[in-house]
Amino acid sequence: MTPTDTYSGPAIELIEVAKHYGKVTVLDRVDLTVAPGEFIALLGPSGCGKSTLLKLIAGLDELSHGEIHIAGRLANYLKPAERDVAMVFQNYALYPHMTVRENMGFPLKMSGIARDIVTAKVDEAASLLQLDAQLDRFPDELSGGQRQRVALGRAIVREPYVFLMDEPLSNLDALLRVEMRAELVRLHKRVGRTTIYVTHDQVEAMTMANRIVLMKGGVVQQVGTPAEIYATPANTFVATFVGSPPMNLFKGRIEQARFRGAFDTAVPARVMPGDVTLGIRPEHVEIVEAGEKEALAATIDLVERVGPDAYLRLTTQGRATVTARVDGASRAKEGERVALRLPPARLCFFDAAGNRMIVDKEG
Amino acid sequence: MTAEQHARIRVRQRRRREFGRHLVLGLVAFILVAPFYYVLLASLKDSTEIFSYPPKLLPIPPYFGNYRDLLWNTGFLRWMFNTFFVATSVTVLKVFLDSMAGYALAKIEFTGRRLVFLLMIILLMVPIGALIVPLWSMVSGLGLINTYWALILPPLANPLGAILMRQFILGLPRDLENAARLDGLSEFAIYWRIVLPLIKPGLVVLAVIIFTDQFMSFTWPLIATTSDELQVLTVGIAAMRAHGGANYGLWSASAVMSLVPIGVFFFVLQRQFLARSLAGALKQ
Repeated sequence: MTPTDTYSGPAIELIEVAKHYGKVTVLDRVDLTVAPGEFIALLGPSGCGKSTLLKLIAGLDELSHGEIHIAGRLANYLKPAERDVAMVFQNYALYPHMTVRENMGFPLKMSGIARDIVTAKVDEAASLLQLDAQLDRFPDELSGGQRQRVALGRAIVREPYVFLMDEPLSNLDALLRVEMRAELVRLHKRVGRTTIYVTHDQVEAMTMANRIVLMKGGVVQQVGTPAEIYATPANTFVATFVGSPPMNLFKGRIEQARFRGAFDTAVPARVMPGDVTLGIRPEHVEIVEAGEKEALAATIDLVERVGPDAYLRLTTQGRATVTARVDGASRAKEGERVALRLPPARLCFFDAAGNRMIVDKEG
Repeated sequence: MTAEQHARIRVRQRRRREFGRHLVLGLVAFILVAPFYYVLLASLKDSTEIFSYPPKLLPIPPYFGNYRDLLWNTGFLRWMFNTFFVATSVTVLKVFLDSMAGYALAKIEFTGRRLVFLLMIILLMVPIGALIVPLWSMVSGLGLINTYWALILPPLANPLGAILMRQFILGLPRDLENAARLDGLSEFAIYWRIVLPLIKPGLVVLAVIIFTDQFMSFTWPLIATTSDELQVLTVGIAAMRAHGGANYGLWSASAVMSLVPIGVFFFVLQRQFLARSLAGALKQ
């Protein structure tokens, strides 16, 4: 019985985890609690510290400050192999001189498990990942998707307490990525292990994760479900990083329940007066009849048709640029003059520092 | 002019170019091979035949007296054994030590790593002549003069191999070691089970360099040993020339015989050697 068998607390707990390289801070006091069986996506642009955080959890890098608890055990001083975690690397990190079977069985062999058990577990994982026909091949004889599955298989056979995945789909072509995304989600549901998944691709994070940890410059910006992150971004960075096209942002002032900036529009009465950044998702911008209440005159600069949807790039009279998502069948044309409306209930407000202001929308 | 005529002219031009190319290559090959053939020829002639005019281009009938003399009347077999023993020992030890040092320099973080590497580079620039006297007094102080250790230990300190190995190992992705660490391998096991198999072509290149270098080494073995029992090929043959008079047939036979082991060594490792060059060429 492993120490993790009887444990029922959080799978992973990070307390003020920090990493510095000399004077450079790569991770700044990250706190995070991950529940058992959760699929967490660490999302952020390149260099935001997400891979570093994953390596710290794996024990492949040394902490500068803080504590990492895995299954209730302080893991700070545990070797990588003692942490009961398995990792899938971005470039798969398969041993080129070993066959698929040897690659998948290697961690078990190293932990002294009997050969027949290793064979049985490898066969089981191979059939789960449809790799039965490739077991005697070497990694350089496999396609990208197959290599990716072998890397997954190597992690699965260990039956670890936590799966760590470092952008495992980023080397695959777009179509295969979509397929593997679904496969990973299915696999997570079937295996049911806690998974921490690093990605810079918001679609991956939004479609796969139970919760997203959004990072920038080594600092956690927001932790929440994909829906929370999308609907109530914690700051302007989150608002623009998640969502494609990103949220429209406009700087201005709130005066007498009106936003005054490049345009003038009504806002909920409870928004505090002062300097703000107003935000609205493209799909919430309404194209309305001219003359309707709170309608803003605008010109269509560009129409981007992406199948079921079309994105309109509009310029208001006050020279503000607004992106609106409309139905793909829309007959909107470039150069056309239209009217748009920003429904007050759909507006987000960020203070001067870019942080979200809590607004009671009923007001 | 029809397309067919054009094609015919192009074929003719290509053949002409190919002929020219082969002519040049043949000439270069002849220049390279001729001295070896001359030595082989001289080794199969007796001393009067060597200087006969016009020279015979085929040694018919071949004269094996030079080889008989070399094998039974000189210390050649002893020299050959010594050379083989020393070169093989140095090669095995050095490939092992250099690859370990290369791994440490490439992959292990330790204080002074850059300084150590810099010192090794600087050491490469020191000519062997400047090292001989201090090296001799050191080896002599250790009481190793006139032992195999005197021939085997000093070459192990040459930093070139470790530098070469470091460069090879640097090319391996860091995630491979990380994967191995997660799989529960110790640092030595990572080196032994993951890194060594992956740098096999590099090890072969290093082994060839070390072996040939040791095989041809002359100055240090000359200084470090005075006993006939410990003479290596280069020193033995030089001594034979110095003391035995101008016996060109015997000299040629010794040259041919001393080429054999190195030829065999290359032949055995040829596949690995070629694999290395191809891997480099085809790397994605």
